[in-house]
Amino acid sequence: MSELRQIAIYGKGGIGKSTTTQNLTAGLVEHGKKVMVVGCDPKADSTRLLLGGLAQKTVLDTIREEGEDIALDRIMKEGYGGTRCVESGGPEPGVGCAGRGIITSINMLENLGAYTEDLDYVFYDVLGDVVCGGFAMPIREGKAKEIYIVASGEMMALYAANNISKGISRYARTGGVRLGGIICNSRNVDRELDLLRAFSKELGTKLLYFVPRDNIVQHAEINKKTVIEYKPDSNQAQEYRNLAQAVIENTDFVIPTPMTQERLEEILMEYGMMELADDYKI
Amino acid sequence: MAKLLDKQRYKCALGAMQTVQAIERALPVLHSGPGCAQKLSDTTGSSGYFSPNIFPCTSINEKDVVFGGAKKLHSTIENALKVVDADLYVVLTGCIPEIVGDDSGEVVSEFAEAEKPVIYAPTAGFKGNNYKGHEQVVDALIDQYLEKSDIKVKGLVNIWADVPYQDLFWLGNIRELEKLIEELGLTPNTIFGFHRGIKNINKIPTAEFNLLVSPWVGLGNMKKMERKLGIPYLHYKTLPIGATETSKFLREVGKFAGVPEEKVEAVIKEHEDYYYYLIERYADLFLENRVINKQFTVVADAQYTLGITKFLVNDLGLIPAKQFVADDTPKNYRESIIEEFKKLNYGIEAEVSFETDGYKIHEEIRNHDYHGYPLVLGGYYEKEVTESLKGNFLNISWPVLDKVVMDDFYVGYTGGIRLIEDMYTVAVSRFN
Repeated sequence: MSELRQIAIYGKGGIGKSTTTQNLTAGLVEHGKKVMVVGCDPKADSTRLLLGGLAQKTVLDTIREEGEDIALDRIMKEGYGGTRCVESGGPEPGVGCAGRGIITSINMLENLGAYTEDLDYVFYDVLGDVVCGGFAMPIREGKAKEIYIVASGEMMALYAANNISKGISRYARTGGVRLGGIICNSRNVDRELDLLRAFSKELGTKLLYFVPRDNIVQHAEINKKTVIEYKPDSNQAQEYRNLAQAVIENTDFVIPTPMTQERLEEILMEYGMMELADDYKI
Repeated sequence: MAKLLDKQRYKCALGAMQTVQAIERALPVLHSGPGCAQKLSDTTGSSGYFSPNIFPCTSINEKDVVFGGAKKLHSTIENALKVVDADLYVVLTGCIPEIVGDDSGEVVSEFAEAEKPVIYAPTAGFKGNNYKGHEQVVDALIDQYLEKSDIKVKGLVNIWADVPYQDLFWLGNIRELEKLIEELGLTPNTIFGFHRGIKNINKIPTAEFNLLVSPWVGLGNMKKMERKLGIPYLHYKTLPIGATETSKFLREVGKFAGVPEEKVEAVIKEHEDYYYYLIERYADLFLENRVINKQFTVVADAQYTLGITKFLVNDLGLIPAKQFVADDTPKNYRESIIEEFKKLNYGIEAEVSFETDGYKIHEEIRNHDYHGYPLVLGGYYEKEVTESLKGNFLNISWPVLDKVVMDDFYVGYTGGIRLIEDMYTVAVSRFN
């Protein structure tokens, strides 16, 4: 039995973290891996494709309604291929502290014994940017040691990725947390592959995998399935299998070297982004 | 830069609970963790409406942090209104709900139609200390309760001075200020202490002017009232202790209020005659003890350090060593306070240090040559260092642990005499 790998997935909001995490999970399951996915987003949509819908009651909803004396199976559901799915959830929009909610949820999972020895992977799918300490919870206190940032060739996705790297390097100074690489969820931007490679290199990491854009992902989502479950023979299913393979084989873990705003913009210039932005017409 | 807090002399802004408790039949409703409430409720005499330990508190916990504590606050206010028969309910928020972002103001506004007024003061500790918290409570009254009045009562003066309970002598002081103002033919209006409360709060907008006796605390409140209620204010920076300052105070108030000069001078003469009669009778005592107390140091908030320094120099002819202001006075007020320490009789100027670190204050006291036994008037923290220097110590500022003060005071002519009594009681006791 191999050692448990705890992985946090960060990236700009809407970039496709949840989609990528769940499809990657499906790929790992095909390898016979035992995976737990912990959604760390108040929207609670990180396990929808694995569970075939939003049937999951979140940890925080359960605590709110039933208190803290609950059994693990109240908050953990089994999804596609035996994956264990948990949604942290959060307060109603506009009230309370979602960051603290994530801390509460993860502590709860630990107390209830969710981290069993047979697990190979735990994924934390974390909302958007690292907005406050609570959203850094999965990479604190010896939880996730491995981080992947989902990005695309779009400017704001790269800004966010650079910003997240700042958070990682902060925690890396004292803890064992490392960046495993960038996963590109392609938006078909010009020279996207070159840009992402250059960006990753500047961050001191690598582009772990380039997931091409394919409408089949959207079809699978509408059907509440991962691509591997929905169309196992499709090209895109194979892409996610390859991504899973890349994660399994990855041994390059680094402390990222976030760049200054100026440097980031230089890279964007070099790959034509800024000029294109000037000519942008509706 | 982070600094070590040594012998801190104030509490967090939530300490404004004491301000609420000083208003008769007003009830603090705390939106905070139970620990905050417990720690703040131990001040001697802060009986408030019930007792220092009985007041509504949301006692928020982790669940309220995650989901927000607004509902709990709502039910706490709702039930406080049902269970406790008070005249005014003041919601005070601690750090946690302010960080999490509970909209306490919104919750409180839902009680706008309640039979009794409910107001809200944001008193998170990170906003500052209890001097700022005190201002927040007064601000809350101005912003959320008081309305501009078309009726102005001639000669009615709102008096604002000490921070209740933080200043041990607050009750006696404010009563004495009332008496002095009354002697000028004016009508004082204060909101703290026995038989004041909501009926006097309601009178605030009808006053001719506000009188603030404080170096800085409350100045923001005065400006707010000037803007919202159209009440002008007189800012008298020095707490008048003893004849010199009190006479000056009465002249300034009289002039501002348009009291005839002859009347003011008649009041002053009557007080000064008696004051100096007492001083003359005990002149020998002062002369004999001068050698002991040649130089003095005061460690207190700006109010007392300034007031007592002026008194000891102007009335008793003592020489100031370095004076310490330990209330974390906001930087924008410091310059004007330093100027006040330069306005002493006989061309004397006192050096003043705005220092909150008790260790540094004690080091300076220890290393200063007082040309004899030092006289130190300060918090109980200064007792040990003064005794180690064989000095004379009088506990006049928070924390006060060696005396019980019910309504004693140091303000005015009588207050000056009381302070002399207390100081020389210490001086003569050492030879017993």
